[in-house]
Amino acid sequence: MRKYHLVRRSNPRMTTTILLYINGLLLSLLVGAILLYALDIDPFEYYGKMFTMGLIGNKYGFKTIEGLLKVFVPLLITSVALSISFKMRFWNIGGEGEFLVGAICASIIAFNSTGMPNVVTIVLMCLAAMLSSGIIGVAIAALKVKFNTNETLMTLMLNYIMLYVIRYIGETKADWNFFLRADSERPKFGTFPDSAIMGGIQIGKFKLLWAVIIAIVLTAIVYVYLKYTKRGYEINVVGDSSATAKYAGMNVGRIVLRTMFLSSALIGLAAALTVSSAGTISDTITNDVGWTGIIVAWLGKLSIPAVFIISILISILQYGCQAAATSYPAIDSNFADLMQGIILVFALIADFEANFKLVETAEAIQRRKERKQKRIERKQTVTGKAEKTAEATKEGTTNE
Amino acid sequence: MNNVVEVFELFLFNIIVYNIPLLYGTTGEIMIEKSGSLNLGVEGTMAIGAVAGFLFGARFDSLLVACIVSFIAAGIVGLVFSFLTVTLQANQNVTGLTITTFGVAFYYFIGNAVSNGEKGWPKFSGTQLDAQSQALNIPGLSSIPFVGKALFSHGILVYVGVLIAILMWLYFNKTVPGLKMRSIGENPAAADSLGINVTAYKYIHIIVGSGIMGLGGLYMALNMGGTFEGSNCWINGYGWIAIALVIFANWSPAKALLGTLLFGFFNTLRVQNAALAYAFPNVLGWLTKIPSHFFSALPFIITLIVLILSSMTSKGRSGEPQAIGRSYYREDR
Repeated sequence: MRKYHLVRRSNPRMTTTILLYINGLLLSLLVGAILLYALDIDPFEYYGKMFTMGLIGNKYGFKTIEGLLKVFVPLLITSVALSISFKMRFWNIGGEGEFLVGAICASIIAFNSTGMPNVVTIVLMCLAAMLSSGIIGVAIAALKVKFNTNETLMTLMLNYIMLYVIRYIGETKADWNFFLRADSERPKFGTFPDSAIMGGIQIGKFKLLWAVIIAIVLTAIVYVYLKYTKRGYEINVVGDSSATAKYAGMNVGRIVLRTMFLSSALIGLAAALTVSSAGTISDTITNDVGWTGIIVAWLGKLSIPAVFIISILISILQYGCQAAATSYPAIDSNFADLMQGIILVFALIADFEANFKLVETAEAIQRRKERKQKRIERKQTVTGKAEKTAEATKEGTTNE
Repeated sequence: MNNVVEVFELFLFNIIVYNIPLLYGTTGEIMIEKSGSLNLGVEGTMAIGAVAGFLFGARFDSLLVACIVSFIAAGIVGLVFSFLTVTLQANQNVTGLTITTFGVAFYYFIGNAVSNGEKGWPKFSGTQLDAQSQALNIPGLSSIPFVGKALFSHGILVYVGVLIAILMWLYFNKTVPGLKMRSIGENPAAADSLGINVTAYKYIHIIVGSGIMGLGGLYMALNMGGTFEGSNCWINGYGWIAIALVIFANWSPAKALLGTLLFGFFNTLRVQNAALAYAFPNVLGWLTKIPSHFFSALPFIITLIVLILSSMTSKGRSGEPQAIGRSYYREDR
């Protein structure tokens, strides 16, 4: 007989949820500290290095911030884009593949843009990337809508097909291949002409790239779109129950196609901004944002403001581990991935605590009451007996 | 002529020796998917099984210890996956991807820690562990021309992998627990109403399936000579190919055997296209013109096509479990 069963809480409280999440984060840092300690590394020192990213007392601190933002921008946009499709319960795990499609198409324009005005080139790059990634997304969505093909597995295959496409481009010397440097014997990706490189606002020594501003504005727009527009509302309804959406007269197929176009196009845009900021393309240009974005979207519970904050935290974690790796040879930047995994596990547990509670089953309550009753009865009989024996001994002593 | 036969024999041999890990990964994943869960953590599970199994195997200098430890270590990963997805109702895609991220990072973390430690990374060649994982060379059978070397001169883990696939096929199709497990994958609520303990079944099959993947990881570690490289994970994407192969094999362990051979064929073609083109210049000379990347991507391309085609045709013959990827929460029934 089961003693307890799980009950979904009707309205989990916001503050409790946040506290549970923070608790989970602290616990995962504790686990990380134990791992570090096992390697004879002072966890406080390591975490100190990691979270400050070597900023303190560093003349070139502005470089650190610039580097951090380069990690942050693609991660933020990708996570936001993935959140949109996850809200619709469309498991687009093809962030990596869509990102690479966008990056390749943006680079085609970039490598052929010598002499074009900077703004025009970058706008064209963004449009090309958004369109190409968007079309891939729509194709997958169309198969899902028409034939109910499993989208998780389709997008997963896409990731690997695109990975080999970019490797092929990067490792094949040929006349047609304008991606590579002409002057290098070994195949090597070239750098973009100046016309395709992202500019920014100069603040002292620090350069705030336009990409950062675009990413933040975009996040705000997506937030408004999801929260205050009819189309955004439709996404939520389809996600909750596509049957309800159909009954309410919504064209579910069209909503899925439209939303997947939006989601993949945003990932394409992230790719265009990334290659333009980096000034080149490579087979590691994605920096795993397609995968990390899924974790970020989930940690942020698909809420755009939360995704924004989590993206910052994860970027600091990743960039900080890279920075700390220089002073700790025993740990490389993979420690960030290890921590991400641990954090997500604790976050999932926190999420569970916030949404479910253990309740005793009716039978268990009944049985406990019965047992209590019995115990009281037994006690009474025992005390009864004890009194009797006590009286008996008393009598015995008086008799003597 | 003799050279041609050698190339051919080596080609067949390599199809098996380099691709058996795919069979382990695939059969493990089939077991998990058939019980209704989609575990995208194959790569990470194999990585953890590999590194744990190899290190303990080297420490105790025994293949048996290596196998047991890799099975247990990967099984613990499966336990975490089932605790999160079955008990805590977490999303399976996210949990699986996290396991992959974590597992691969764990491989690097442990690898770096041991390499930088006092004793350094354990030696493999010349140890008992090395000797025990060497080819068995079954007398008589292994000298059959053409196929003898390919079929009968492997290490014990190759045969264990094939045996697991056959036993799993029997378990699925000929036993009552296998039938019950498949019913959970199709419709957990119906299975529950028949008194099948859905939670226990899911836990057991996820843990055993993950354990099998772990053995595949160990195989890869031993096959790579057990040297840790800081830049490349032993598993090297095989976990993802295994997930693709599950679809290609239509969720059947028997077809997984054939699928492994086919995917292995492309994989071997990628590595050996130059040798083949050299041995048969007239017939296979064109092989060198095909970029190796195409062969690498081919398993994924084929799987994508199979996935789309099978969804277009009737759903009836597909082996895809209907309840795959969804958590089962009794009170939502």
